[in-house]
Amino acid sequence: MKVAYIFATQRHNVSYVLAKMILPQLEQKRHGVDVVGMFFFEDNNYVLVKGNPIGERLHKVAKESGMLLMGCDQCCYEREIADKLFDGVPIGCFPDLYKALSGNMPDQVITL
Amino acid sequence: MTAACRESCCNVTPRRTVGELFERGFRRMRESPLPVEGETCADGDDNQARFSMDLRDGRIAALGFRASPCATLIAYCELICETAPGLSPDLAGAMTPRQLTDTLEGVPALKQDRAALAIAAFRAALSKVSQLHDH
Repeated sequence: MKVAYIFATQRHNVSYVLAKMILPQLEQKRHGVDVVGMFFFEDNNYVLVKGNPIGERLHKVAKESGMLLMGCDQCCYEREIADKLFDGVPIGCFPDLYKALSGNMPDQVITL
Repeated sequence: MTAACRESCCNVTPRRTVGELFERGFRRMRESPLPVEGETCADGDDNQARFSMDLRDGRIAALGFRASPCATLIAYCELICETAPGLSPDLAGAMTPRQLTDTLEGVPALKQDRAALAIAAFRAALSKVSQLHDH
């Protein structure tokens, strides 16, 4: 099964759910499903900024697996980080997300 | 939760960042169109933009626009709206996409093509002004 994750809420989503659960499982190739994309809202976008240690690991996994990483454009502009993301990580809104995923559509989209 | 200060108040001049231009542009889009409306222009991603303007004494007095809900496009359109008033249509027509991309920092390269659409729509409105003037 193929899934995409949307990180919509803040609290411990990136530092805990992503960094301590999903990411280690992806690195060890035992997550159980293929993650074809991740989309980030609000402060969650800081994980995509160059130099972020969690983001470094995530970017590496994404490059190896072809997983899409995308930041919400309005969220990134508001935080003035849109041009500071890891190389090749785009920003966009829903039309850009669906277009980017259209060649590798997930079976489930999971909002965290 | 408090809202950010988005107008010129508290002795703070509004900043021209993408985020703030987007917010001001989003509000401008809710205003009624001005008397002279240009044609709607579109790009390959189905984004659209259309400018309207008011002229006084041969100069652009005010600008309005409608655009697809793309943050980058709206920010570029708003930048034009905040820059062009006071200019003659001829001078304003010399504005280029490159000037927009150079002026507005923080837009990733992949999104900078929105500037071309914003300028094309602005020029379409200027063209309408020219047609009205000729008649």
